[in-house]
Amino acid sequence: MAAKPKIAFFDFAGCEGDQLQVANLEEKLLDILEHVEVVSFREVHTGHSDNYDIAFVEGSITRPQDEARLKEIRANAKVLVALGACATIGGVNCIKNFLGRDVYSENVYGTRARWYPTYEARPLKAVVKVDVEIHGCPIDRGEFARIVKEMLLGRVPWLPDYPVCVECKKAGNVCRYHLGRMCLGIITRAGCNACCVTEGAQCWGCRGLAPSANLDAAREVMDQHGFDRKHVQDLMRFFLGDTSAPL
Amino acid sequence: MTAYCLHMEQLPPLMAWWRKEYDVYVPVAAEGGHYDFAPWREGTEIAFDYDLAYNTLKRYFLPPSEDLLTFDLASYEAQAVFEDPKQILFGVHPYDVRAVNQLDQLMEAGAPDRNYMARREATVVMAMEPQRVADTAFWSTIGADVVSHGYDLHFTRISPANFMVEVGSVKGEELLLARGPLPAATAGDREAARKAHQKVMDLSRSNRLNFDWRHTPKLMEKGWNAGVWREKAELCLACGSCNVVCPTCYCFNVSEEADETLKTGRRFREWDGCMLVNFATVAGGHNFRTKALERYRHRYMRKGKYISDKIGELGCVGCGRCVRACTARIANPREVFNALWEDQANAD
Ligand code: SF4
Ligand code: SF4
Ligand code: SF4
Ligand code: SF4
Ligand code: SF4
Repeated sequence: MAAKPKIAFFDFAGCEGDQLQVANLEEKLLDILEHVEVVSFREVHTGHSDNYDIAFVEGSITRPQDEARLKEIRANAKVLVALGACATIGGVNCIKNFLGRDVYSENVYGTRARWYPTYEARPLKAVVKVDVEIHGCPIDRGEFARIVKEMLLGRVPWLPDYPVCVECKKAGNVCRYHLGRMCLGIITRAGCNACCVTEGAQCWGCRGLAPSANLDAAREVMDQHGFDRKHVQDLMRFFLGDTSAPL
Repeated sequence: MTAYCLHMEQLPPLMAWWRKEYDVYVPVAAEGGHYDFAPWREGTEIAFDYDLAYNTLKRYFLPPSEDLLTFDLASYEAQAVFEDPKQILFGVHPYDVRAVNQLDQLMEAGAPDRNYMARREATVVMAMEPQRVADTAFWSTIGADVVSHGYDLHFTRISPANFMVEVGSVKGEELLLARGPLPAATAGDREAARKAHQKVMDLSRSNRLNFDWRHTPKLMEKGWNAGVWREKAELCLACGSCNVVCPTCYCFNVSEEADETLKTGRRFREWDGCMLVNFATVAGGHNFRTKALERYRHRYMRKGKYISDKIGELGCVGCGRCVRACTARIANPREVFNALWEDQANAD
């Protein structure tokens, strides 16, 4: 990579929460920016150029015209990084995939629905090759900084490939299943330090399935602990609507 | 062994005194009817009758994440990092003291783990006779109900308001007598302590091993192809919970991270676990335990045989934490050992 790689940020269907997380790095961000040249970043900077090495892309693909734009970004960038759950796994946008196309079009655009073609939400990797994924909804600032540093040092960015339970136990939490609650940490990729459980909630699966997730076992666990399928399905559809393996 | 008698009311002033110099950790009630260790403060309600600390105490010697080195990316100079906060763990059950003793041996063998040892040496262990037994525990059936060393003091509640305190080290005695002399334990106190132990042993009759635990290593050796491995491993989530909560699991992974200026960095270690899918993946990407069955069996081999081959005692103290932590309800050394025993009894 050149001495000062040029980086650019783009967004599709999403809330820009991940770019905000990046902007919130504040001092750390300033140090990192010493090593790169930002050519496009709406959250902190005006102006834009098509000359960039690393593209950070947030949001899901929900319209045919998104695809052309994403392919162009892919063609310009040496490295394409998917930023946040909408981009990596489709995320909350995929809730609409469980409705009919007419229903969600009309819900959003009312009588003008036919002017705005929109289809089932999908992650970036359904359209182009993604080189690096930064998971989470929103992304973890610390993890973003780590991955960018690894890229700048020429290392292969590392992602945890085990379930959230590992980090949850390290944090010393009492397991939600021992409190009579359901939790998707048993199948979700770690990396967030189990923040939701630590804060008193449960894991919603925003970082996507762990590559080794044993879904059959998870189904059995949820059955054994007395959770009905509808409940499981609801939780699975929150972030994991695009996975091919509903529980 | 020297022993003293301590009144319940004398304990809080002692704790306050110790706290001037040490971080003091005690068992307290946690969410959902569980218990865990937490820092003692004025007014903290100590759960003297806790059954099991939800999380393992190894975190005080081998924290979940710990810096080992700092380095300079330009000059390649490195500086070792050692931390050794002075701490007192009060109310540690004997099986957990045994787990610490086991870690001491393993961490000292070969190239001594100086980070571990620095923390261990700065820690005072105050053991305590349990008054209750967790429904998942089986320490009483594998000889882990008593411990002969590794503690500085050993408390036994001999009446609602009195403890008999045995001395395990000079340091322990100093701390116990820091606020003034105490009466020596009488023969009656010792008898009351013996009875307290008998009482908790009687409470722990339900989770038994069906054979003498000393046969376990042999049993494991013959049980390599047993059916129990496949049957249980099918349900394994590879979540590592059983490893992480285990007081005798000590595996860690070493990583490095640069700071934001890319000028300096740190090397740190974090808990790892053999139940995680890529635990046994080595350079070049080869994983020598790809199957859930192999990983599941490996963990029990460690507990029942490999550790025993090294130091002559089981690698499991029967605390029952993994049994509780496993949401799939398959982690259970006692059940596995019994299943192997039954298998072999049928085969003979
Ligand atoms: S991943 Fe989450 S934070 Fe990021 S855009 Fe989507 S909804 Fe917002
Ligand atoms: S609370 Fe969730 S993430 Fe934590 S150990 Fe339990 S299942 Fe795993
Ligand atoms: S605990 Fe689960 S839902 Fe929460 S941040 Fe982590 S992966 Fe996402
Ligand atoms: S294997 Fe399980 S029961 Fe044995 S010491 Fe470890 S956590 Fe406790
Ligand atoms: S806790 Fe249970 S499910 Fe998780 S790795 Fe251990 S045996 Fe497997």
